Amino acid sequence: MISAELRAEVEDFLYREARFADEFSLEEWEALLTDDFHYWVPAGRLEGDPSKQLAYLNDNRARVATRIRQLQTGKRLSQLPNSPMRRVISNIEIEPRNDEGISVVANFVIYELAAQSSGELRVWPGQAQYRLERIAGNLRMSAKWIELVTAHAGQRNLTFLI
Amino acid sequence: MKVDYRELVHTDRVHGSLLHDPEIFADEMERIFVQGWVFVGHESEVKNGGDWVKRQLGNESVLMVRAESGEVNVLANRCSHRGTALCWEHKGNAAFFQCTYHNWRFGLDGDLRAVPFPDGYSKPKEDLGLDRAGQIAVYRGFVFANLDGLAGTIDEHLGPAGYELIDRLCEMSPSGKIDLSKGWIGHRVQSNWKLWPESDSDGYHVGFVHASMSASTDTYYDDVAVGGDAVKSSRAVDYGRGHLELDWRPSYKKELSWLGITRDRVKEYYSALAQRVGNDLADQMLWDGPPHAFLFPNLFLGETVIAIVEPVSPGEMIHHHTSVQFDGADDAFNERLLRQTEAAVGPASFITTDDAITAERIQAGVSGTDRSWSSTSRGWIDLSRGLHREEINDDGVRSSDASDETTNRGFWYRYLDAMSGKDRH
Repeated sequence: MISAELRAEVEDFLYREARFADEFSLEEWEALLTDDFHYWVPAGRLEGDPSKQLAYLNDNRARVATRIRQLQTGKRLSQLPNSPMRRVISNIEIEPRNDEGISVVANFVIYELAAQSSGELRVWPGQAQYRLERIAGNLRMSAKWIELVTAHAGQRNLTFLI
Repeated sequence: MKVDYRELVHTDRVHGSLLHDPEIFADEMERIFVQGWVFVGHESEVKNGGDWVKRQLGNESVLMVRAESGEVNVLANRCSHRGTALCWEHKGNAAFFQCTYHNWRFGLDGDLRAVPFPDGYSKPKEDLGLDRAGQIAVYRGFVFANLDGLAGTIDEHLGPAGYELIDRLCEMSPSGKIDLSKGWIGHRVQSNWKLWPESDSDGYHVGFVHASMSASTDTYYDDVAVGGDAVKSSRAVDYGRGHLELDWRPSYKKELSWLGITRDRVKEYYSALAQRVGNDLADQMLWDGPPHAFLFPNLFLGETVIAIVEPVSPGEMIHHHTSVQFDGADDAFNERLLRQTEAAVGPASFITTDDAITAERIQAGVSGTDRSWSSTSRGWIDLSRGLHREEINDDGVRSSDASDETTNRGFWYRYLDAMSGKDRH
């Protein structure tokens, strides 16, 4: 049983991370990451060794920095303008780990408007698995893995922070 | 009303209606995807007897299957009884295909094996097999099919250039074989399918559409493509029959540019390759890299990526891609290719996402054009860049500056042949 304080702290973190992503607050979002952050969106279930698979997205810390830099150039056509978007997070399950990290699983739904082209409303349902670490007293994110409900079905442009 | 394609496709321009008209789309599915040769998949996807993958060839869902005999078959994914699709997953392994409606059972060769209560049939079983591709050809593992079986030979379709482009890729593998079994990733785009042969072989847009890439990371495209008129050595090549290449080779400023790393990081790969082809050739390959080429109508040889262009409807398509894996190369090298593929191609990549948005913007731009406008000055797409400086060699191969629209025109020449019946015998 985890404490109410820990649950509140973790939920706070997840909601903040979600808001930074939704609002393209890129620097604020990047500040939540550890130096060994791993970002993964496989083309199937969250299973097996990510390094052996071809994924939609499989970023180490350096590549996620490039991803953010590309969004910051002001020339990223597929995010000109940025997608208006909001996500809802629910079913949050928290499990402390032996190494003092915290594993979190949550469901999410993102509503995104393709404002750059067709104006289609795009819906992105899935599960997010987070790994959080406590660094100098504050929670930081060392992994965010996403299993899309539509993982096997192909995707529209996924050029925001999921 | 029958469409006259010669009114819509000219040397220097094509009409916008070609990109959204439902009647034209229906013609294409028949004349290109049923009556012509198309790429289906790669033998390495079905290594063992019973392995199958599902593919979409135009409107037709098919199964590429490895029979127990070792032969690869391309079968309609449609029960010969009432038309039920036989397979729903993307891939699998089966001893036979059984329809879920009345349990008709088919062999891996498409023959009807068994039906429940057979006394009710007087027709011979031989007449009730699955529809299958009229012609299949396999070259270095690449499986091509022609559904109606009347398209002429694969040699006529691929021509010497089609074979050579596939050779240039496969020869870079230590064993001479590539493996395409890491799975296909679909990128769903709200555009006509023909915008992708264009985009995949267009050298003119790179510095503009992909400016954010150049601005945020070191990319070899800065050397080979972004310069436009300033880069004179890269070439846009139209080999004829709709087979196209952006030939970056003359512009690479260092070996392994195309992989973004230096030789000390690929020692194992290099020595494995050199063991088969010799050091001189291996050295040259490290400079040249695999080709950036398009084979009509649906196969993109995108350097270390292979992609299939799949039409869905006039304004909807899927760009499927997988990563080339070199058979006989070390794991670290092949993992490097996976990471390179993820960066370059697909829904969350740094490059083709911006091509997707561009294709969707073109679709929005042309969707109001009408075929009847082709007799006026409205609704045309200009493809004249470089017409005055294009060179043609003795084999009929056209080439020009990499930023010229030689490749785009090459696609449409072949398209016009296919759509106006010149491809037929």
